[in-house]
Amino acid sequence: MTPDSEPTPETIRFTPDPFNKTPEGVVPTTPPNPPMGALGGEGQRTHPLSGLVQGLLWGSGVAVAFSFSSFTNGEWLIGLISLPAGFVIGFIAGFVPWWFTRFIINDEEIRVESGFIFRKSRRIPFARLQSVDINQPLVARLIGMAELTLEMAGGGDSKTQLRFLPLPDAKNLRRMLLNRAHGVGAPATLGSDASVDMQGTFGNDNATTPRTVIATVAPDRLIIGILMTLDFAGIVIGSIALVITFQIFGIPFAVIGGLFPFLIGTYQMVSNRVLAQWDFTLSRGDRGLRITRGLLNRSSQTIPFDRIQGITMVEPYLWRKFGWVRLDVDIAGYGVSTEENGISETTLIPIADRAFALQLIAELVPDSDSDNAEVSAVSGRSRIFAPIGWRFRALTRSADTVSSTTGWVTRRTSTIPQSKIQSVAVDQGPWQRRRGLATLTIHSPDGPVEVGLKHMNVDEAYGVALDEADRARLARSAVTRR
Amino acid sequence: MAKSKDLYSTMAETWTPVSSQLVTGRRWTAAIWFGVVFLATVAGSTGTWFFLPTFWAGLVTVVSLSAVVGLWVWSWIWAARNQASWGYVESDEELLVRGGLLFRRVVVVPYGRMQFVDVAAGPIASKLGYASVTLNTAATATAATIPGVPTLEAHRLRDRLTELGASHDSGL
Repeated sequence: MTPDSEPTPETIRFTPDPFNKTPEGVVPTTPPNPPMGALGGEGQRTHPLSGLVQGLLWGSGVAVAFSFSSFTNGEWLIGLISLPAGFVIGFIAGFVPWWFTRFIINDEEIRVESGFIFRKSRRIPFARLQSVDINQPLVARLIGMAELTLEMAGGGDSKTQLRFLPLPDAKNLRRMLLNRAHGVGAPATLGSDASVDMQGTFGNDNATTPRTVIATVAPDRLIIGILMTLDFAGIVIGSIALVITFQIFGIPFAVIGGLFPFLIGTYQMVSNRVLAQWDFTLSRGDRGLRITRGLLNRSSQTIPFDRIQGITMVEPYLWRKFGWVRLDVDIAGYGVSTEENGISETTLIPIADRAFALQLIAELVPDSDSDNAEVSAVSGRSRIFAPIGWRFRALTRSADTVSSTTGWVTRRTSTIPQSKIQSVAVDQGPWQRRRGLATLTIHSPDGPVEVGLKHMNVDEAYGVALDEADRARLARSAVTRR
Repeated sequence: MAKSKDLYSTMAETWTPVSSQLVTGRRWTAAIWFGVVFLATVAGSTGTWFFLPTFWAGLVTVVSLSAVVGLWVWSWIWAARNQASWGYVESDEELLVRGGLLFRRVVVVPYGRMQFVDVAAGPIASKLGYASVTLNTAATATAATIPGVPTLEAHRLRDRLTELGASHDSGL
């Protein structure tokens, strides 16, 4: 069961809420709150199994915690009473949040109502939706369930998760949300046919747009790539140094003890990345890219083209010899530190050929003006701050994009479309002031992409900052006019 | 062109200064903090007289008290110089904010990128009639704060920025 396998016809219809009192197949005449069940209040719960499983997990946990000490102390009677009592309490604690969580979809937004005593309601206007992901943790995957993650732009808590829905429902819901996010299928524009269309999109998988796979990463290549990164080289050098040290001091047995943590660390690093990026597939649909990956936990991310805020091409030292690169992407809402299993969901492709990557960048962040690009270099006066690195820094600006290159061990080339620039800053610290330097930074939503140029001549930095503001404005108005 | 080394002297714009009350406010804040630290230092160095020889106790007292007073005086001077470093420009399309002494910074924020604007004032600030205005975009790195904007001006600025943000909004 993988997220992208086609659902069987029996499971296509949005699974009816057991408490749904609306008769099957009845199409509401008014579009809002389409096929959602109603129980007293409005809205729809996630699948009952998620409440049940959550309840069972919590129940058994609390039951054990309650009765464990009684049994070990030999107080069998108390233990026998507290075992079921703990189970009931834990079950309720796990079950109640599910029972009181509902989601409602209407013309403009999806709303998630949760909480029993402290009610919480979160509105997610479709226009603000940045991306929709489907994740299947192992347990959920075994019972055919999936978790839907909705990302909005914003600070720490900008994600909303619906867990768990049957996989086909999650996929239908994602398609519908993404359509709505792009203003398709909105009842307001489609008139009276909208409700029918809604039902169609929701309960029917025929509307699937064809996807073309543009890249897959074979596991062997993934592993070779990881083995050639710097962090792995660091571990190897560390262990060799350790072995030599122990040889010199003549304590052979300590070698085993000393190497053990290194081996464990290496194993975990490699296996985490391999597990998470197993069967990595990048595919293209009408409006965006889709990433599916994972061996045990499957995850399927959708990145609409127009939500890409920037791309970074990362080239570790050894990879450059082979012409390999990694691509990271900035999506508002993903943020910086959303690492799971040491794998960031901002990875567009973990390893690829340079030519392919450049082609992909050219497609995602098109630059029609690259011939007129202006290149700014770092001032030679900054040599004292970065004796080697200063030569490798540059900022390239055209009418469409702004990109910067840094690093001589691991090289990073970051590109932001001019129309997506958030703001521009020039900073000058005390040492820079003595040498007449300043740092230019182009701000994009939080993520792996960082564009800017350290240690420029101060007047040049300020001039570029003002010019960038102009270019960004022109690019924005061009996008709005289109 | 004469090469100027300082960021602020390369800029040609006419900057709107922030309230001079900011100096008073910061001096008051410093007075409260340093007052507490001063008293604590007095108590601490008095204590050393009981178990240190007179010479060493005297040295400790003089050094620690002069350090506290020295920092206090420095903060007094800093307040005025730092206030003078702040300024903003409302141009047609962007808001420019400059400020900072040791670490100097200019931020250019297009109105269309503004997500929300915060106005904040502590008890001393509201007594003296100024507030800080913070501009936020979808990038946390933006966070352009203008301290010490006169209260009425701060609210006018917020309303205007919000209004401009809405009319220039170009989506994410």
